Amino acid sequence: MRTLVQPGAPLQPRRLLEWAAPASDLRVTLAGGQDLLRGLVAALAAKDVAHAGVQVVAAEIARMAYLTGAEDPSGQRVATYGPPTWLEGPVTLLGANGILGPGPDGDTLLHCHAVVVDAEGRLHGGHLPPGDCLLGAGGAVALVTPLREAAFAASFDSETNYPLFQPTRISI
Amino acid sequence: MTEAATFEEGRLGRLAVVRIRPNEDLVTAVETACREHGLTHAVVRSAVGSLVDAVLEAGEKVIQVPGPGIEILTLAGEVRPDASGAPQAELRGTIADGKAQVYGGCFRRDANPICITLELVLQEWLPA
Repeated sequence: MRTLVQPGAPLQPRRLLEWAAPASDLRVTLAGGQDLLRGLVAALAAKDVAHAGVQVVAAEIARMAYLTGAEDPSGQRVATYGPPTWLEGPVTLLGANGILGPGPDGDTLLHCHAVVVDAEGRLHGGHLPPGDCLLGAGGAVALVTPLREAAFAASFDSETNYPLFQPTRISI
Repeated sequence: MTEAATFEEGRLGRLAVVRIRPNEDLVTAVETACREHGLTHAVVRSAVGSLVDAVLEAGEKVIQVPGPGIEILTLAGEVRPDASGAPQAELRGTIADGKAQVYGGCFRRDANPICITLELVLQEWLPA
């Protein structure tokens, strides 16, 4: 198994785990014509949900971009994102997982990766940048698991030289 | 003779908010995190992360995908106790490499090092 030398010293512990209290899950239906990630963040904010695990179970997408990994030519990090790949719809979402929490600037961030199939039946998948996934008329459905007492919050990670979601105790 | 179906009654309990740091193996790190916190039965509720390189199994086929920066697109699976009672993870999902090729299968043990991070939500399963 190949490992990579990270730009910063290894941090301990190697595995972080915090216990969150169970809460009722939410099934969210998003209407078409809005951005998938921004629409989900806004819909959940209106329900006072800012920390959650998310499964997008269905979406019909009119136009979208996704990013895949690449080596970082600057050498400042072991991997970065390549240029976006744009897909014209109809694109059908097959599965997506997301983590919702406060980002490095305090705004709520939905970190989401998705696998989709394009209009010609080709599979695609990667990281979804916010604002670049316009839902078609069919909209989307997501199953949201709100997190209480502990959740993810972004902070700078000196080992990888990225701001990353870290398990954190919260007062909700 | 094997029963056509067996049932285990139970309910979902607490949620584990987990992060795995770089170069740790996906399957064994999930198992170790569970063992460290006394979690023997769980299901994956959500996960976002990346791998240095990936090795997936699909039946007899072994799919080797070179990275770095392989995105984990979807992750599903369970943690269950093995014969000795230790948590054992069985994880499957889809990934994309740097050329945006998508692959799917079960993640092989000791072959899927985390690249930048794995953010994972597990929910404990409490057998009745």
